[in-house]
Amino acid sequence: MSGEASAVLGEPGRRWMGVGRSDAEDSRTAAIEAVRQAMRGDDVKVLLVFASVTHDAKSLLEGISEAAPGVAVIGCSTHGEIGPGGPRDGTVVVTAIGGSGFSVETAASDGLNGRQREAGAEVAQCAAGVARPYRVLMMLTDGLARDQETVLRGAYGVVGATVPLFGGAAGDGWRMTGTFQLHGQDVLTNGVVAVCIGSDAPMGVGIGHGWRPTGEPMIVTLSGEGRVYQLDDQPALDVYLCRLGAPPEVYHDQMALSRYVLNRPLGVQRRSGVEVRNMSTEVDVDGRSIGGGGELVQGGLTWAMEGDEDSVLDAVETACRDAFAPLQGRPPIGMVTLSCAACRAVLGDEGIVHEGERLAQQADGVPFAGFYTYGEIARSRGIDGFHNQSLVVLALG
Amino acid sequence: MAGSGSSFEAQQLVELLSVVSSSQDEETATQAAIERAAQALEAETSALVVAGRAVRSVGFPAGSNDHDLLATVGLGRHVRLDISGIGSCAAAAAALGDRDESRLVIARRGADFSVEEHNLIRGMARVLGLTLQMLRTLDAERRRQRHMEQLYRIQRAISRRVPLSDVLGMIVDGVRDVLGAEDDFVGLWLIDPMEPGLLTLAASVGSSAAQERWPRRLPIADAGAMGRVVQTDEVVHHGAQAPGAALARLMPNDTGCLAVPVHENGQVAGGLLISRREDQPSPKADQEKMLSFAEHVSLALTDARTLSDMNEAMHDSLTGLASRALFLDRLSNELAHMDRGDTALALLFIDLDRFKQVNDTFGHNAGDVLLVGVAERIQAAIRACDVAARFGGDEFAVMLRGAVSVENTRDVSARIIASLHQPFPVPGGTADIDASIGIALVEGERVEAEQLLHRADVAMYQAKRTGRGRSVLFCADPISELRMTGA
Repeated sequence: MSGEASAVLGEPGRRWMGVGRSDAEDSRTAAIEAVRQAMRGDDVKVLLVFASVTHDAKSLLEGISEAAPGVAVIGCSTHGEIGPGGPRDGTVVVTAIGGSGFSVETAASDGLNGRQREAGAEVAQCAAGVARPYRVLMMLTDGLARDQETVLRGAYGVVGATVPLFGGAAGDGWRMTGTFQLHGQDVLTNGVVAVCIGSDAPMGVGIGHGWRPTGEPMIVTLSGEGRVYQLDDQPALDVYLCRLGAPPEVYHDQMALSRYVLNRPLGVQRRSGVEVRNMSTEVDVDGRSIGGGGELVQGGLTWAMEGDEDSVLDAVETACRDAFAPLQGRPPIGMVTLSCAACRAVLGDEGIVHEGERLAQQADGVPFAGFYTYGEIARSRGIDGFHNQSLVVLALG
Repeated sequence: MAGSGSSFEAQQLVELLSVVSSSQDEETATQAAIERAAQALEAETSALVVAGRAVRSVGFPAGSNDHDLLATVGLGRHVRLDISGIGSCAAAAAALGDRDESRLVIARRGADFSVEEHNLIRGMARVLGLTLQMLRTLDAERRRQRHMEQLYRIQRAISRRVPLSDVLGMIVDGVRDVLGAEDDFVGLWLIDPMEPGLLTLAASVGSSAAQERWPRRLPIADAGAMGRVVQTDEVVHHGAQAPGAALARLMPNDTGCLAVPVHENGQVAGGLLISRREDQPSPKADQEKMLSFAEHVSLALTDARTLSDMNEAMHDSLTGLASRALFLDRLSNELAHMDRGDTALALLFIDLDRFKQVNDTFGHNAGDVLLVGVAERIQAAIRACDVAARFGGDEFAVMLRGAVSVENTRDVSARIIASLHQPFPVPGGTADIDASIGIALVEGERVEAEQLLHRADVAMYQAKRTGRGRSVLFCADPISELRMTGA
């Protein structure tokens, strides 16, 4: 038996969540094992599938269909799966949500590039079909697509402030060649898939990160389409590295540079704190520009950020505290936990085990599952919801 | 360390300015501003309120009218709203500083806005107001330039004698481009010359639904604004309350229309109308632009009429062939441009035999039908570059252009004679006629048109004298050197 499982019933017969995992190499087999372990209750409403990019997406869907015919499915590829037994690579983790206290609607939109706002608006339409006192819209996007904020703006334009947004950008194990998203029987490669979860009980969305600004701010003097070309009127990469006091070998060696900047994101000031922008995944050594994360508005200020394992792990408590707050003191029946792939690089193999332990401590016995993402989605106040180098948590009450 | 307090607000204003000032149009600028304002204040909702109506908002579910609540927020920051699905919110509004008294309204769940935050909202509203003002000025300049370009295109088309229907189509397209939007309808109705109480749609542009809605023909008395324009020769401009029942029925979803008269030779000939969904900010300027397009309709109609009259004068009204005057003009022109030594032109003078009997037997109507048939057969026997004319009665002439020879001139004559020898169906029976043809060739000499025509005329009479259905080639001494060619 290669699978592990955990499940907790919420109010008996009303709402439940179960998690299953398989490390079987055969995709179909892995999906069947994970689904069967996750389905620990009746009346399953939706399966959330997080799978290593090494799995064959079509075979995964065949296995899921065999194990749970007719059940709604959304999912995506990852940069590592979070589930029972801690973080792993190469596995399939399935979360089953069911019970008469839940209802769901799913949607998908392919062809994300160039129509981010439209795609976000299209999938958000599914929320109209869910009539429950509490709703959350969970979205999984192609992590290689740019301008993810606009996907959220499109969704926000449809559901408004009444529905919290949650989710993440699919990963591909740092290959940067292609992710997949799953919806029903369909495999998408440049899309967004979504499920609106409606519940009779409150649900909460939380976010935390372990980064703090350091030094004087820099002015973004030239930026556009997710890239920063100039900081303080100079080539952005050089100003950024200079401000960090980077060693000389980093300036022109792509590999050394990527390693160096991964745990040195940029920050932008918001009313209630600093938002993290990961600018390390699309560094242009020749053009001396940086990019990859969210937008940095021309004319805005940005700070170099610093953090360490302790501060990043502390984000677990912050995110869980925020997610639990709307549950009004009652324990959750389960959690979906999405953490940034870049944070995983900062934490290292040992550090992510500690992150898993901290999550398990917060979960206090209820099931939780998730994956390492190329960008995190959490909006419960304001209109912003796309984040970098953060941990986001959805707590189901 | 990250800034705090007033420096944070100042920075948010700079970022809003950066985002909004890069917008290319009002819609994009407004959307960017309300989103950026909500983002800066971590507010769930924001809206632009114009004339007491939330014209654009963020944070409300699609299709919901809840954003109207923001339109109730007056200037200031000490307002609380209970917004469905969000809860108790602090709300604040600031003026854009425009004539419409537009306001930027922000609502945020939780605590009231601080003085600094309210000052930020005021600054953002002013930035948005100035940006919109700038974009409107730019848009007006772009439209003015497009207006000039459209008028120039139309003038060029008229001067190049582009078909009238195409010119009128360009004009309605131009009106929509300069004054309207994609869904707006532009129509040009002209008084039907056969039924002066009716208007006929001469050109139109608009969505297929609008095209279907507007009739192609309608009585002037029932044509609402268009009818008034034609009856009063004045501009009609109004909003949704249409003055005529028929017009109200025709434009149930449009905000209003602007209609101006068009003229032909100084007389009202119809009207040009634009029906629009959006309220227009400057009806006076629009009216002047409409009048400029209407003047170009008048110019095109008058020019087309003049051309038609000229054609009528220069062509035989029965057969459509060139008149004697036009033929001689063309002939003179051709002779003047011939180089010495060329044998490049032949003139055929054609006279019908037994035409009088056809008129006497079947009547003048049959005679007219016969003449039309003769013209068609002559044209069928010559090339497109040659010129055929009717001189009146039963006399026709043909000018063969290019390097013609005696042989091919004779061939053409023979074809014409053979063709006209075939019976003609006419009202009341069948007409049998023949043709006698006199041929004059220009052979390397200077000769005037009248002189050449005289030679062909002489040869034609020689042909008649020597028997019907024949052609004769004119030679220098017609008495001794006429050569006769049997048809």
